[in-house]
Amino acid sequence: MELAQLTAESRKAAGSRAAARLRKEGKLPGIVYGHKEEPQAVALSLHALELALQHGAHLLELNLDGVTQQVLIKEVQYDHLGTTPVHVDLARVSLDERVNVKVSVELRGTAKGIKEGGILDLTLADIEVQCAVASIPETLRVDVSELGIGQSLHVRDLKLPDGVEAMDAPELVVCTVRMPITAEAVEAAEEGEGTAAPEVIGRKEKEEAAEE
Amino acid sequence: MALMPKRIKFRKSQRGRIRGVAGRGNTVAFGEFGLQSLDAGWLTARQIEAGRVAATHFLHREGRVYIRVFPHKPVSSKPLETRMGKGKGEPEYYVACIKPGTMLYEIGGVEEDVAKRALSRVSHKMPFKCRFVVRRHGV
Repeated sequence: MELAQLTAESRKAAGSRAAARLRKEGKLPGIVYGHKEEPQAVALSLHALELALQHGAHLLELNLDGVTQQVLIKEVQYDHLGTTPVHVDLARVSLDERVNVKVSVELRGTAKGIKEGGILDLTLADIEVQCAVASIPETLRVDVSELGIGQSLHVRDLKLPDGVEAMDAPELVVCTVRMPITAEAVEAAEEGEGTAAPEVIGRKEKEEAAEE
Repeated sequence: MALMPKRIKFRKSQRGRIRGVAGRGNTVAFGEFGLQSLDAGWLTARQIEAGRVAATHFLHREGRVYIRVFPHKPVSSKPLETRMGKGKGEPEYYVACIKPGTMLYEIGGVEEDVAKRALSRVSHKMPFKCRFVVRRHGV
């Protein structure tokens, strides 16, 4: 297994202003923790991390001040538009360790129900799985070709690779094929909504008290 | 039908200011594609409804449209040809306060190009700049 290699340097200056200064230089503040060692604040190249994320990397080989270690990308914080990473959490791991990670679901095939006029709804786009660090799947491929209208695929129905165990509740619905919403149903729902002024909470009681 | 709260604590509210950027409600959470605001402003219940109608009409009831914002804030106004004074006007309509980054609508169950065209039509109904975004998977 080939890991993405990143170089990081430890940083001493903490706080938002120091972090902002780092980001201006094209670097990304982050933290490395785990394995009962002291957490270490680091700065790494933003471009290199973005490239690794684009390739769906979960695991990195981090060269921190000359020492190489395997780290798992635990969390990436983005800016308000969700485009630029602003901070990254990296956890020290060994390759034989089992970890919990979120893996995206990839639907394969055309469901039977779609051919009959149904719509495929993906309700659970990412599934939390437990597996060895060395064998984290890129995506979970799910065959939906047998799904008819009104049928759902649950977490318990997923065929996971060897050594990968789903951590989400087995009864969670991953995807379902449903009939399109009819115009009558939309009208019925709209009729239910009133146009009257909203009820003011606690107003009646006050009015009653004033009358007394 | 335009959205409005069912129960409120106060009938009228002050205008307030929209400060900062969206720290929550800024990711695609329900569908696969979304329309994200790039500016701050008020989005009226009518505009929200116009966007919903534009999306559902284009999708021909395929896929699913999610509205991620709700107009909680009452806006009052004085009737025409009224002298100033005599108290604050009556609530006329409701608005949602939108910060840059807020996800306004989401669409699921359709191909990307279809969602893009649907949300492009919606963006023309919005009073500020918006952009099309795709759900980010994994970390």
